[in-house]
Amino acid sequence: MSVTKYLAELCSLLIDDLYGELPSRIFAALLLRGRSSLPELCHYTSMSPRQLRHGLAVLHQHNLLFYQVDSYSEVAMYEANAEHAYNLIRAGKILEMIDTSFGAPAKDVMQSLLLSGQTRIGDLVAAYQDKIERANKAAKAVKDETSEWDEPSGTTETHHAEKRPDLVVKSTNQLNAVICRLVEAELLDVVHSKSFQTPFDIYKAVEKEVMDTHFPGGPRGGKAKVELQQKIAEGLRKVRDESKSLKRKLDQNGTQAKRRKLLFSGGSSNGVKDEHEEADSDPVLDSKQVIRINYEKCLVDLRNRRLVQFATDTIGPITAYVYGVFLGLLTKRVSRCRLDPKIDISEDDSQGRGYVTTDEILDSLKTSVDLSLGLGKAQRTEISSKAAEKILEDPPKKRKFIEEAEVDGNASSDESDDEGGSDTEHSDSDHDHKGPATNGTKVKFADSAKEQRLDRPALLRQHLLLLAESTQRFVRHCGHNDWTVDFVPLMQTMRESELDVVIERTSGREGLRLVRILRSKGKLDEKALPNVALMRKAEIQQKMLEMQTAGFVDIQEVPRDNKADVKKSFFLWFCDSDKALRRMLDNSYKTMLRCIQVLEVLRQKDKDVLMLTKRSDVRGKEKDVMEKVYYDRYSRFLANEKKLFAQIMRIDDLVSLIRDY
Amino acid sequence: MSRGGRGGGRGGRGGGGVAADIVFDGKPSELFPKYDVPLAPSLSKKDERQVSFFLLFREQCHDGPLYTQARTWTQGLGKTQRTYGQDQINSRYGQTSKATVDPFLAVPTYSQKFIQPERTLPDLESRPFAKEFFPPELHATLDGDDGPSANKRRRTGPKSLALSHITALRTAEELFLPEAQQSYDKALQVLDTVEKNGDDLGFLSGEDDDDDWVKHRDEDDDGDGNVEEDNDEYDDESGDDYNAEQYFSGGDDDDDYGDDDDGGAGEF
Repeated sequence: MSVTKYLAELCSLLIDDLYGELPSRIFAALLLRGRSSLPELCHYTSMSPRQLRHGLAVLHQHNLLFYQVDSYSEVAMYEANAEHAYNLIRAGKILEMIDTSFGAPAKDVMQSLLLSGQTRIGDLVAAYQDKIERANKAAKAVKDETSEWDEPSGTTETHHAEKRPDLVVKSTNQLNAVICRLVEAELLDVVHSKSFQTPFDIYKAVEKEVMDTHFPGGPRGGKAKVELQQKIAEGLRKVRDESKSLKRKLDQNGTQAKRRKLLFSGGSSNGVKDEHEEADSDPVLDSKQVIRINYEKCLVDLRNRRLVQFATDTIGPITAYVYGVFLGLLTKRVSRCRLDPKIDISEDDSQGRGYVTTDEILDSLKTSVDLSLGLGKAQRTEISSKAAEKILEDPPKKRKFIEEAEVDGNASSDESDDEGGSDTEHSDSDHDHKGPATNGTKVKFADSAKEQRLDRPALLRQHLLLLAESTQRFVRHCGHNDWTVDFVPLMQTMRESELDVVIERTSGREGLRLVRILRSKGKLDEKALPNVALMRKAEIQQKMLEMQTAGFVDIQEVPRDNKADVKKSFFLWFCDSDKALRRMLDNSYKTMLRCIQVLEVLRQKDKDVLMLTKRSDVRGKEKDVMEKVYYDRYSRFLANEKKLFAQIMRIDDLVSLIRDY
Repeated sequence: MSRGGRGGGRGGRGGGGVAADIVFDGKPSELFPKYDVPLAPSLSKKDERQVSFFLLFREQCHDGPLYTQARTWTQGLGKTQRTYGQDQINSRYGQTSKATVDPFLAVPTYSQKFIQPERTLPDLESRPFAKEFFPPELHATLDGDDGPSANKRRRTGPKSLALSHITALRTAEELFLPEAQQSYDKALQVLDTVEKNGDDLGFLSGEDDDDDWVKHRDEDDDGDGNVEEDNDEYDDESGDDYNAEQYFSGGDDDDDYGDDDDGGAGEF
């Protein structure tokens, strides 16, 4: 991840907002100066070594630093981990994701881990035990007080749960189970000795080791070089897998499959039942291990949610639900969104099976979901089953996504309208199970009450085929009953459609149209453009210049001869999506940065109110103490704060789509 | 041809093409032209949840021992936002002089007792760390042995990680317009805490001086020496001035409060 100026400022402001000024200053200096030692930092920031040591400790505890200790001089060199710093903004999203897919207890544990940084399991358990005990004591006290009119004992558990809804994790057994779940889902990582080395350092170390052991004289010839690369990749993978040691141990436990099932088939919400079932099957975790959050896997899950959202917008909620379940199964063994070219040279097969069968999806679907909804019905004769059931075994070649993007972009702005009556959409795009249906075809929706019902597997198949046939290629039908997703082209499509939306917002429909023309034609001469676009020359010139300033298109000058006479040269317009996206990314950082700065200004403005609400005699009885004027100001501030953070998170959606997914 | 020439050529050529269409508009431009301000759509339910989780997380961070509240960044005072170099950035921080003191808040007042004391350094010794993953030069700092007060006082006994006590984010509406149910809950909670600590929480539960007898009884039990000790710790810069467990449930501060209240009464 390249750290631009705005990203650097954003990261240090985020740290400032969450952890205070001291760590933020150090982080900013580290980002600005790169790898530095403690005396160097002293020099840069003109802070005392004592302050620096404290600040560095905080940063390190929150996993925001890389460091390396020199083996001779014992001096540590620190480096900023900008990726983790940026991920702080995603805390809300990650917690929300955990809350919906794993339930409240898991969210609580995750939150504690986010708060305390890398934590020893033993410490975490002790902290929870402490909390539980105290809550129990309090509950008992209350119970003694109120027992006269309360039900007699025996219902202590429920009573206690009612009284203190904030106690989410009720026993250490449950805590253990929750940690096991999260570790199995790879959302939690084990911290090991190399966790805090920069990827580059690790690469260098592994390379050196491989060179020393296998190629003492240096690699000779092409074959040896390939072998060297493979050996290095292997070594790097070994380092990476160290953080999964706990997961491996859990996987070796025989009951793994059964518990997985429980986890994914919606056993997450009814925590009470699970607690008893799982408590005895989970091994007690080694309390010496240190765990932290694995953002890479969190991003995979967030990407799934994003895709489901996209599918909801384009196709419909039921199909999207099926898609969500399918993605959950598929990405169980996918631990990162983007493969590292250095490590994952030949890892395609080592990630396990890259497809999911229809039966597996069927097993994971909730039975309460009516699959017959959201599917169109057409006469059997109108369906070309051969075309619909076409099996694509290989992932698509590196072809241009221009055509796809064109169709897709068209849909992206309008498709939200289609969501309700997907009737039109179906007939527009000649969908699978209707095959070559003409526009006049009557498409009836399956009326579950009247019409003869298909069985569940067939319905599921219909949904999957619908996904496979969509212009976005949500799913690839890679075997008779096997389904997979080609994430790279799919995300590229999404990125392009996102870019199209931005272009339309900034330079209107004409601008978008011109960009699409350029995409499909490649580079186009300035003089030819008006003919192709059927627009007036002056209009086009103005629009194109406007878009050039915004960074969506660019111009290239090609001289006709050696003299490079301007009047004779060609001027070619073209559109480079990647460049436009990169520019959009930096603009997004800037916008987020400004949001936080605005928030700071608002805080300064309402400083007196905020100070008042923080006072210990005001907390808890604000209503009695504060005046109406203050209340108004306070609530306005809170509303603004909420809006600003929501805006930041929306922009983060864009950032993660462009950069991380 | 030079770069400048190229640009000129282009401009001229472009002008030639456009000239026919341009009509000179003699009107002065509008002072405040209508501008279509794009408005962000209102928050969806999911957005709301995400934001509130984030804000709660933020609140808890600020409640934790690793947060440093102290802001030494001075704004304004003739300084520009733009900086050229590290020295200028550094000079923004840590400027406490007579000029930067806020005259309205500098005089000690009674209500300042309730303001949470600011921490300038994180309270590292209050919680355990996985020390093997820290560079060796930070180990002493993690133990709280870093600094002038290191020899004076050592924390004894095992350290424990404290979970945050803030479990819900409170909005302005909740604070100010509590429904009947909510105030009932709050009352129960206060009762809870009172029961739990057996400590004086008179002011938290909204009781007034009428119920002073509760405090008297407690303080009689405690004795004065205890309170004195607490004060010592309180003054210590990197000391145990912050303890999450006592933040809400009336620890030293509350004792202080009670004590001073008492003392004042004695003087009169």
